Amino acid sequence: AGGGRMIDRLRKWYYNAAGFNKLGLMRDDTLHEDDDVKEALKRLPEHLYNARVFRIKRALDLSLKHQILPKDQWVKYEEDHPYLEPYIKEVIRERHEREAWNKK
Amino acid sequence: KRFYSLKVAPKVASSPTAAKVKLSPESQDLEITKLPNGLVIASLENFSPTSRIGVFIKTGSRYETTSNLGTAHLLRLASNLTTKGASSFRITRGIEAVGGSLSVHATREKMAYSVECLRDYVDTVMEYLLNVTTASEFRRWEVADLQPKLKVDKAIALQNPQVGVLENLHAAAYKNALANPLYCPDYRVGKITSEQLHHFVQNNFTSSRMALVGIGIDHSTLKQVAEQFLNIRSGVGAPGAKAVYRGGEIRKQTGDSLVHAAIVTEGAVTGSTEANAFSVLQYVLGAGPLVKRGTSVTSKLTQGVAKAVSQPFDVSAFNVNYSDSGLFGIYTISQAANAGEVIKAALNQIKAVAQGGVTDADVKTAKNQLKANYLMSVETSQGLLNEIGSESLVSGTHTSPSAAAQKIDSVATGDVVNAAKKFISGKKSMAATGDLGNTPFLDEL
Repeated sequence: AGGGRMIDRLRKWYYNAAGFNKLGLMRDDTLHEDDDVKEALKRLPEHLYNARVFRIKRALDLSLKHQILPKDQWVKYEEDHPYLEPYIKEVIRERHEREAWNKK
Repeated sequence: KRFYSLKVAPKVASSPTAAKVKLSPESQDLEITKLPNGLVIASLENFSPTSRIGVFIKTGSRYETTSNLGTAHLLRLASNLTTKGASSFRITRGIEAVGGSLSVHATREKMAYSVECLRDYVDTVMEYLLNVTTASEFRRWEVADLQPKLKVDKAIALQNPQVGVLENLHAAAYKNALANPLYCPDYRVGKITSEQLHHFVQNNFTSSRMALVGIGIDHSTLKQVAEQFLNIRSGVGAPGAKAVYRGGEIRKQTGDSLVHAAIVTEGAVTGSTEANAFSVLQYVLGAGPLVKRGTSVTSKLTQGVAKAVSQPFDVSAFNVNYSDSGLFGIYTISQAANAGEVIKAALNQIKAVAQGGVTDADVKTAKNQLKANYLMSVETSQGLLNEIGSESLVSGTHTSPSAAAQKIDSVATGDVVNAAKKFISGKKSMAATGDLGNTPFLDEL
């Protein structure tokens, strides 16, 4: 139990050190857009997709002005949820299935 | 002298007890069971090397409402979408890998999902079939990608002018239910949501409205499958509205030089005694050419119209039966200039029959044609599957071909005359497409 909490604290420290939350971004906003991510993005429900676009636009604006958000608007480690992860998992599963079939 | 011809070939002694080679065991009888939840299971073990299994559901475009028109059409196209047990990719590849095929066939009142494959792979394709009919997920993005196919499907179907005329005919003849088009209306393409598909399936694909039919598979296997997997939704689901006949006309003016017109009245319900009379009347009047490029000598309609016009035309009797209504009448294809004469001549022929102008010989010929047509349609395994499935859905029983032939024989000439009288006196509906300058309106007939 103690070990678990250590890892958690490390994680939280690393999240804050990475700094993208100061631009108002969530972890899944920063993913590199390869083919799997692109396909998963196509499957996002509309409200999640619009929220993502807004966050990215805001972050681009801030970086252009060399600013960051005020501290109370930073994304908290606890509030950051991996919204895109289930879709990516499904896309990768489908791709593996296709590859397995094509190998046969 | 050489009498080669006189040399008799040595006689081959044919043994009277020569072993007969049996190609396959004789087909068993059709077995039919009805489960307590209403599902009907029918199977015919004919020991053929291929098996054909179908899931028939009593649903179709008539169960749509104005808020979800086109759902049944999209459902028809959605048979290969991802299900809970298999992804879309896997369904396609899996069925192809065993050399099978999955197809969906839908009418206004029933949908039939059927798979066929070599006997050894029945389990595999059956799994896919059950997945598709009971556990389809209708993923939002897959449904969205499918909608353009509605347009293509409709365009291909409408290349055949008959399809368009019949859609209009049903829309003109009925107020609801059966008036719904088989093909998605243009304004609904792109707007059908995954929720609507789910809703439609939840409300219509219930056990008591389904039948599982197999040809080339034994009954116990089918029964086991049905009890295990097709037991998901009980109840009757959403009841369809009763079709109300109204009798109207829809005319579509196009530039076509050929006018397609259909004029009908309310006909008979599937399975009623009247239905047989109307079918016989259909063949008395002429239900399509039996000899290619022939002159349809036995068709009263063709002969009657040929006397009235000299240009090419085609006319046949139109007959369709649904579970609570039917349509009977004529379908004409004529040159735009003499469409009126063709239609009037055809209607006069029916009037002649209604006034008793039909002989017993005519009726016998028609009965033979009808019987032959029916029996030939159930000779293919596809036709047979369809026939067994449709009948299981309607009544949960099966009429053997000989019993069906007997029913046809029991129609008397008087019944045929009465059917014709019903047409003459009934409220008419009409649909016409083409250059309609010379096509009469209903009140001018």
